[in-house]
Amino acid sequence: MEFIIGLGVVALIAFYLIAQYNKLIRLNIGVDEAFAQIEVQLKRRADLIPNLVETVKGYASHEREAFERVTEARAKANSASGVHDVAAADNMLTSALRQLFAVAEAYPDLKASANFIQLQEELSTTENKVAFARQFYNDSVRTLNTAVKTIPSSFFAPLAKVGEREFYEVDDPTTRNATKVSF
Amino acid sequence: MTSFRALQSANRRKTLLLLLAFGVLIWVVSYSAMSYFGGGGIGVIPIAVAISLITVWGSYYASDKLVIRMTGAQVISESDNPRLFALVQEVCIASGLPMPKVAIVLDSAPNAFATGRDPNHALIAFTTGILEAMDREELQGVVAHEMAHVANRDTLVSAVAATTAGAIALISDFLMRMLWFGGRRERSESNPLVLLFSFIVILLAPLAAMMLRSAISRRRESLADATAVEFTRNPTGLRKALEVLARDSTVVQARSTAVAHVWIECPLDSKAVSKLFATHPPIHERIETLRKLEGGAL
Repeated sequence: MEFIIGLGVVALIAFYLIAQYNKLIRLNIGVDEAFAQIEVQLKRRADLIPNLVETVKGYASHEREAFERVTEARAKANSASGVHDVAAADNMLTSALRQLFAVAEAYPDLKASANFIQLQEELSTTENKVAFARQFYNDSVRTLNTAVKTIPSSFFAPLAKVGEREFYEVDDPTTRNATKVSF
Repeated sequence: MTSFRALQSANRRKTLLLLLAFGVLIWVVSYSAMSYFGGGGIGVIPIAVAISLITVWGSYYASDKLVIRMTGAQVISESDNPRLFALVQEVCIASGLPMPKVAIVLDSAPNAFATGRDPNHALIAFTTGILEAMDREELQGVVAHEMAHVANRDTLVSAVAATTAGAIALISDFLMRMLWFGGRRERSESNPLVLLFSFIVILLAPLAAMMLRSAISRRRESLADATAVEFTRNPTGLRKALEVLARDSTVVQARSTAVAHVWIECPLDSKAVSKLFATHPPIHERIETLRKLEGGAL
């Protein structure tokens, strides 16, 4: 009888330890997945840019500075890797796009064209998706970092080789919680 | 300071308390059956629970298909409504949930619902009325509220509540019949006060069960509002959406008390249902709560 109880207690402890270890691994993979989602959405946004630049060029071909900034930011965004670099490229592209749309304000024909309106709608939903992907990533990082720092899961962090992760920082304070973007 | 996290944990705690109250109610009913009828009274309990389990869990498992049939919703694909799909994709990214099936109900009354046994079998539906009445921001709030129901597994919670309420109603029904046919066991030491108490419990138990079920539904609606804010971090959108719903007086054509709990706003005439049995909290209270969230830091 004592033997069976002893066995049960050992089994319970083993299950508990495994659960703690797995929780950390799962949270860590969750952060990776959340970051991949940001990259997917940023890629999608970058893919919209050549089309946008062509459309704006058709009406405002002499606004070279704005085009160059966007094209340069897009190239940087496509080659960036790692949380810090991706965030920096993302910020740069966001501000370049904002400038391009500010330029477009001065051309009523452009603003009225069906192509431009459709691109604007696509960009605003992609912008929302990027914002939500960032938010989900940062929430995942917060959950992971809390688990890494609090007892009892903190004891398992070195064993699972899981450490604190980096938050995705956004420069512009107004875009930090942005859910609705109107260029 | 109100925050959506505080609201979420308060609503989860209250749901748990209500489920506990259900447990206590079953225990009291069993005790009454025992004191009134002896062993024979206890015998009906497993039968009632089994019947309730089979009927409710069948409809829980096929909830997405059943509700489609009861409301006449039509599942659409991305090309049918790209804007709505974009909104749903946005909320999926915000919540980390898989993409649900999206459906449209041909009805001019603005409303929406979510169903499905788990996030992988989720379905969210919108009436044509709500798609016309709301702008992008408001609709995003509604989508987030419905996806919050999916995330919180509210189809499961309401199935548990329906099973328990159904079992209690059946037990009470069986016992009332036994009473009618004089099944009471003759026992000289029975205390008349205990017998009276047992009789009242058996008589009123189904009513109490229905109230508990409605109270759970109301808590899940408040929880879904708070979770929607967690997803969008924008209480304004959902608040404005609820204001549109509050202003609108049309009621859903395919209305039925059987599916009332699934809609975002109670589809029935509010005066017809008393507050204790309402499946949704009063819409003005929900708007007030969201206003408080708008004032506080997220």
